[in-house]
Amino acid sequence: MARIVIGLVLVALLLIFQSVFVVAEWQQGLITQLGKPVRIVREPGLHVKLPVLQTFTRFDKRILITDAQAAEYLTLDKKRLAVDHVSRWRIRDPLEFYRTVRDERGAMARLDDIIFARLRQEIARHNFAEFIREKRVGIMQAVTAGTREMAAPFGIEVVDVRIKRADLPTEVQASVYARMRAERDRIAKRYRAEGEERARQIRASADKDREIIVAKAYEESQRLTGDGDAEAVATYARAFGQDPEFYGFLRRLETYEKIFAEGTTVILPADSDLLRYLQGPGAR
Amino acid sequence: MARQHYGGEPFSTPDLQEGVEELRRRLGQAGQWLRGSRGVLVLGGLLLLWLASGLYIVGPGERGVVLLFGKLWSQAEPGLRYRLPRPIQTRQVVDTARIRRAEIGVRTSEGRGTPVPEESLMLTGDENIVDVQLFVQYLVHDPVKFLFRARDPETVLRASAEVALRGVVGQNTIDYTMTEGRVEVQERVKTYLQGLLDAYETGLHVTEARLLVVDPPRDVREAFHDVVRAWEDRERLIKEAEGYAEDVVPKARGEAAQMLQQAEAYKAQRVIRARGDAARFLKVRSEYDGAKAVTRERLYLESVERILPKTQKFVLQGNGNRDVLPFLPLRELVPAPTAERSQPPARSGAAR
Repeated sequence: MARIVIGLVLVALLLIFQSVFVVAEWQQGLITQLGKPVRIVREPGLHVKLPVLQTFTRFDKRILITDAQAAEYLTLDKKRLAVDHVSRWRIRDPLEFYRTVRDERGAMARLDDIIFARLRQEIARHNFAEFIREKRVGIMQAVTAGTREMAAPFGIEVVDVRIKRADLPTEVQASVYARMRAERDRIAKRYRAEGEERARQIRASADKDREIIVAKAYEESQRLTGDGDAEAVATYARAFGQDPEFYGFLRRLETYEKIFAEGTTVILPADSDLLRYLQGPGAR
Repeated sequence: MARQHYGGEPFSTPDLQEGVEELRRRLGQAGQWLRGSRGVLVLGGLLLLWLASGLYIVGPGERGVVLLFGKLWSQAEPGLRYRLPRPIQTRQVVDTARIRRAEIGVRTSEGRGTPVPEESLMLTGDENIVDVQLFVQYLVHDPVKFLFRARDPETVLRASAEVALRGVVGQNTIDYTMTEGRVEVQERVKTYLQGLLDAYETGLHVTEARLLVVDPPRDVREAFHDVVRAWEDRERLIKEAEGYAEDVVPKARGEAAQMLQQAEAYKAQRVIRARGDAARFLKVRSEYDGAKAVTRERLYLESVERILPKTQKFVLQGNGNRDVLPFLPLRELVPAPTAERSQPPARSGAAR
């Protein structure tokens, strides 16, 4: 009797371990019966399946990231670009996923194929400059939308595709550097020329100011000189005009004193007015 | 043979009959041992140990997350916590206070940064190449999302930071990014990155995104430096010219002031002198009015007295106007006044 009980207990325990399984918060899975899909399990927690006959395959439920290798693309204006993208996706339908791509590695390979094709198509529709500048977000959205649609049959939901690096191929970089140098040279030349220009302006303006200031001062000083002369003339005229004959007499005497400097030779006629008494006391 | 899976048990024997016999014997032994008080104690102890294994500590700044059979059950604040032991409940502890950091374009170890050009060189909106290094600080904002919603969130953060940085730099010109736009670029990278992290349900929060280096690439750095030097040259030339102006204009003003003052002085002295001359003339004349003939005579003689003593004088008889010519040149009749005062002519000729 005890034998049978113990045997039954052991069998029961074994069946429990075979049929009960735990799905973690970040997991989901698929129950298959002899290779045939039966049921999808999405909820985390304790779950039950038929022992032995059914097996449970786990898949990740989280958002997964694929960081692809960089590849070269041609833009509309025939420039080559090395683009490196990342895609984020999750397994939406474990059944389709299991049926079509089997596991994550298969999914990544498939996704990369799709994204490369979409990127090639989108990049080829835009010019290089557009791609770098304003169209990057738009292109990423278009690629995401296209990829999402094409990946759906594989049970994959694409969250987004982002362009990480978009670089010029190494051999093109050298010519970019050369252009950058030329551009900087141009700016440097402009700065120096501008400096020269401003400096000349400032110097010329200073010279002009100086000439004007001096000329104005000359003008004013001449006017003052004239004023002084005029006033002096008027004063003289008023005073001397009262007796021009006497003025003439005095002024001549003064002039004689000035012009007969020391050593001047003077020839006096003996009969001149000054010397008239040399002839005798009663002369004239 | 339906029970062939017994084959997995440790006491497998080829003969089923013997195997069952063996099992029964062993279980009987164990049952007898268990019936003893020592056995109960040991079993109880084991049970207690198992239950006690559910104790765990959530450190300060950490958050505990408890799962019941893999399903989210509860979150735990810092302190000594209890959960049911494995395999019923499990727990994970996440540090939510620690500031984590990531670097793009550079790897810092022991305080020294090694540049990573393939990460740091990127295209700008005006098709130039710029060297940018980004430093990101972040922390775990939502432990549940961090643990369960995205695989490897910190790798996601690195990739997303690169996407954000290159996206923003690609929208601006190299000059803008390197100079006045630096802070704005920084802000936009942060916003962009946070948006990506939220969309990917990483549970991460960016506290700071800082541009460490925004430089031209090494190959063209010299040309960029020359632009800076050219700017300095420009400023220097202008300053020099301004210095010239500062020098010239005040000097001119000084010269002007001097000219004006001189003119003022001339005018004033001219007027004053005229007034003085006039006053003198009028004074003399008022005296002269009284005795014209005498005063005239006196003034005349006084002048002659002052003049004639200093002069050489010749007195000619007869009509001087007609008879003076035969005596010319008069100067040779007398020694020159200078020669008279100084040494003989021979000496002065030698000196010349």
